[in-house]
Amino acid sequence: MSLHRRALLTGALGAAAAGLLSGCGGKDLDDLLAQAATVPRKPARLTWWVSEIPSRRGAVVADLIIRAFERRHPRIRVSKINALSTSDGNRSAIATQLAGGSPQPDVYLGDTTWPAQFGHSALALPVEKLLPDGFWDSYPQALRSGSTYRGSVYAVPFFTDSTYLFYRKDLLAKHGLRVPRSWEELLHTSRTVQRAGDTEAGFLWQAAVTESLTANVTEFLADAGAAVLDERGGPALGGAEAERAFSLMAEFTSRGVTPRTVATYQESDSQDAFVNGRGLFLRNWSYAWVNASTPQVSRVAGKIGAVPRPGFEGTGRSGVSCAGGWSNFVNPSSQELGAAMEFARFCASGEVQRLLAREAGVVPAMTSVLDGPEARAAGDPTVLRAADLTLVSRPVQTPYYPQVSKALYTPANAVVRGSLSPADGVRAAREGLRTALEGKAL
Amino acid sequence: MSRSVPRTGVRRYVNVVNLGGLLIAGCATLPLVWMASASLKGPGEISATPPTLLPKDVTLGNYETAFTRNGIGHYFLNSVVVACLSTVLILSLAFFAGYALARMPLRGRGPVMTALLVLSVFPPIALLVPLFLMERQAGLLNSYPGLVVPYVALNLPFAIWIMRNYLSGIPGELEEAAVVDGAGPLRTALTVILPLARPGLFTAGVFSFTATWSEFLLALTFNGSDDRRTVSVGIALFTSQYQVPYGVIFAGAMVATVPIAVLVLIFRRSVVSGMTTGAVKG
Amino acid sequence: MSSVLHRKTARTPSTGDGGGPVTGRSAPPDSVARRRARAGWLFASPALLVVAAVTVFPVLFSLVLSFSEVRLEYGGLRLGSPTLAHYEALLTHSEWYRALAFTLGFTVVSVFVELVLGTLVALVLERLGAARGWILALLLLPWALINVIAAQLWSYLFNGTYGAVGWLCEQVFGTRPDILGEPLPAMAAMVVVDVWKTTPFVAIVVLAGLMLIPGDVYEAAEIDGASAWTTFWKVTLPQLRPIIAIAVLFRILQAFGIFDLPFVLTQGGPGTATQSVAILGYRILFQNLDFGGGAAVAVTTAAIVLGCCLLFLRVFRAQADEGGRA
Repeated sequence: MSLHRRALLTGALGAAAAGLLSGCGGKDLDDLLAQAATVPRKPARLTWWVSEIPSRRGAVVADLIIRAFERRHPRIRVSKINALSTSDGNRSAIATQLAGGSPQPDVYLGDTTWPAQFGHSALALPVEKLLPDGFWDSYPQALRSGSTYRGSVYAVPFFTDSTYLFYRKDLLAKHGLRVPRSWEELLHTSRTVQRAGDTEAGFLWQAAVTESLTANVTEFLADAGAAVLDERGGPALGGAEAERAFSLMAEFTSRGVTPRTVATYQESDSQDAFVNGRGLFLRNWSYAWVNASTPQVSRVAGKIGAVPRPGFEGTGRSGVSCAGGWSNFVNPSSQELGAAMEFARFCASGEVQRLLAREAGVVPAMTSVLDGPEARAAGDPTVLRAADLTLVSRPVQTPYYPQVSKALYTPANAVVRGSLSPADGVRAAREGLRTALEGKAL
Repeated sequence: MSRSVPRTGVRRYVNVVNLGGLLIAGCATLPLVWMASASLKGPGEISATPPTLLPKDVTLGNYETAFTRNGIGHYFLNSVVVACLSTVLILSLAFFAGYALARMPLRGRGPVMTALLVLSVFPPIALLVPLFLMERQAGLLNSYPGLVVPYVALNLPFAIWIMRNYLSGIPGELEEAAVVDGAGPLRTALTVILPLARPGLFTAGVFSFTATWSEFLLALTFNGSDDRRTVSVGIALFTSQYQVPYGVIFAGAMVATVPIAVLVLIFRRSVVSGMTTGAVKG
Repeated sequence: MSSVLHRKTARTPSTGDGGGPVTGRSAPPDSVARRRARAGWLFASPALLVVAAVTVFPVLFSLVLSFSEVRLEYGGLRLGSPTLAHYEALLTHSEWYRALAFTLGFTVVSVFVELVLGTLVALVLERLGAARGWILALLLLPWALINVIAAQLWSYLFNGTYGAVGWLCEQVFGTRPDILGEPLPAMAAMVVVDVWKTTPFVAIVVLAGLMLIPGDVYEAAEIDGASAWTTFWKVTLPQLRPIIAIAVLFRILQAFGIFDLPFVLTQGGPGTATQSVAILGYRILFQNLDFGGGAAVAVTTAAIVLGCCLLFLRVFRAQADEGGRA
């Protein structure tokens, strides 16, 4: 290839690169917010990136919501894009599109652990100025703080998820045992029922090297009264409390109450084992209630109960649950910011929240709906008892949450497998946290 | 093992080679048989211990869910279009390029082959974002070309390598004879080399088809809308964060695999001859 | 069947080493060669242009990203000043080395096993009679199975609670191993699945190569009274070299990029035992949203794989003594 042609090629490539990047970056936030502040009067089309919402009665919940919105706003058409339901797969696909400056989807449903990171990376529009005064009075405080990063709110409430202790009513009744009020009692109860040969596993939970384990660790730490981060966001993990939490995780497996395969379990695996009658207790998110109560997929339908998680003896703390769930985010590159914002607000409104209580196997975000007639009619204990929970946030208020999460779940997984002592596990996690929070972890 | 002694009697059937063949077939297919069987099991039996090889209660419920709730048939057609189109394009481009690079006196062949290698060692995940930018500018998102174009480009380097290595191994007399007869390069390529190239084309074709048929990340990111979704993404969508419905996944997998299996089995003779006959043997 | 093998025509040893058969033979060699060269570029350019048009920009883009501060702003990616920080972060992290070690180990072991098994399978297939079509067709099935599905299938078979593999182990050894929950078994499981899925490919490539070996080569060996073993090492294997080279090269590329298996089977666990460089890169890119860091992983991976490939080719070529080629 001659020099001339090479120069030409380099020039063309440079031009192409410049052209591709010129469409990106440098948009003024104030302009975007001004656009988002008004709902358009002319016809508009929206796309909504939404993963499967568990359904209580078989209806496609997302379609119901879209229809309700289009009735309110006849000039706005909404089409949905089915997102992968796994948080990881969903995230890679949406992150690629958003980072590529794609105007679609206009609104996307995202995990409640995303706001800080997505806000930090300008993948979500800050919406606090676009929400009416007193908006947050209707939603849990933990959801508000989880959606906030450096004073800006990046997510509009949709539904929450809380964790419960699911148990086998029939087996406890057979042995004349009560629902355990502490982890110590749960260990004892499990051993009793296991020794009688009535159940393979005592307690099922999630300890695979994923964010699932981070949620479990956060809860056990909160049970023991240990903090992950201090007020200023630095690493605070350590001390006897943290060790107590890590020791408990090791004890479950070392005493055989939890099978060792728990180290490979995510939510779906543990739920699978429970609905097939393999476990006495299950820690899972609230949606497990619907699945475990459906006779077609569950062998234990009608034989189960759900209560807030127990705590440690002598601490007086119980009912701790991670604040989870999914919220709507607005794509800052959307061409229809006003309509998109209106749709996100609509999903948070009483109308949709009541619809969720009626049709969806999730916990509506709006607190007043939780003891409303729709929720009572559904009779789901995970909705009705949501007010009894002590919600804790995962350490999500850092743009480095994935690294922080990894710093927690990697040593915790080793502790559960017995290849690391609880004390060493805590030390490793603290060290990992420090690196992660400095943004120096991989 | 003597190669030319004719075998007689029992030895004709029971011998190392045939037993080896059986073993190979067994190892290759047993997990697939398991999958087929699991796709017919109900939610209870699919996770039963001890596991059952054949389903006790055969149910088609998983297939029903795969077709009605998840539109697997439609995804399947999309995959067929994308994979076939890509494979045909890859083979036709790679044949000529491989022929030229193997048998024509090109200066700079070495650098070209190395450059192709460089491009094919680059991890595809890193190409995702820039490719997305390009496709968005070109308006190719959610279209068949949106997948076919990158598939062809990403799989061509290896196909060219196969063709080049294969074609540089075939004897040259026939080609020389054609040149002496006054055939131009194009006619030589099409009438002399192409028949010789069948096993190489077959290998490259199998490779390209399976690679494009299986591809997941690009398909997920570029063809997100339901009407252009391919089967690998479609099946991944069955999995929810709430459960892994193995039965439905396997039913979908069967739908995606059985037509190919049937085709291959029907055309197994041409498969074998495609692989094993070239003009080399006359 | 075996008689067919003998009917293969001999191949002249002088051809097949590149350069084209005509050069230096016809009357005015210069003009013919030039004409053929022009035709060659015409033949090659459509493919090369397609490849270049689609891949050159993304590869360069990644290179630039990996050496730049990358910011995400409203509207998309923004490049900042040049920096080596992404590489520094990688090279000072033990996790990157662990991922590299796992990936290298996995690549070496699985490629080796596949090559040995694949060659064996190809030799068996070559000798098979009527059943060859059936077995070849069956062999294609694992290879044609969509990767994500294959991973799901094996995650079902390896399931710690009800997986068939664990059950089988229990019947044979009396204990039920926690296959995916312990580092070594989890790594072994990945190799097993990879071998299951890609040995057919190696076998098919090698079989295609076997078909090119002229029969009289074997005849000569037979007359010399060589044993089957000696014939294989001295005759078959050397003839297979170029084709084995391509199979190994391709398998190195693929195995080094292993992603689907750990992603579905273990998410890189237990701990970080099965975290491959592709998984690490994916995490950095899409979980941490660190586009510069992700690009740096990609570039380093590409450099290492390229180094391996070139080294392999060099050693291979030196051994095969076909220096004139490419």
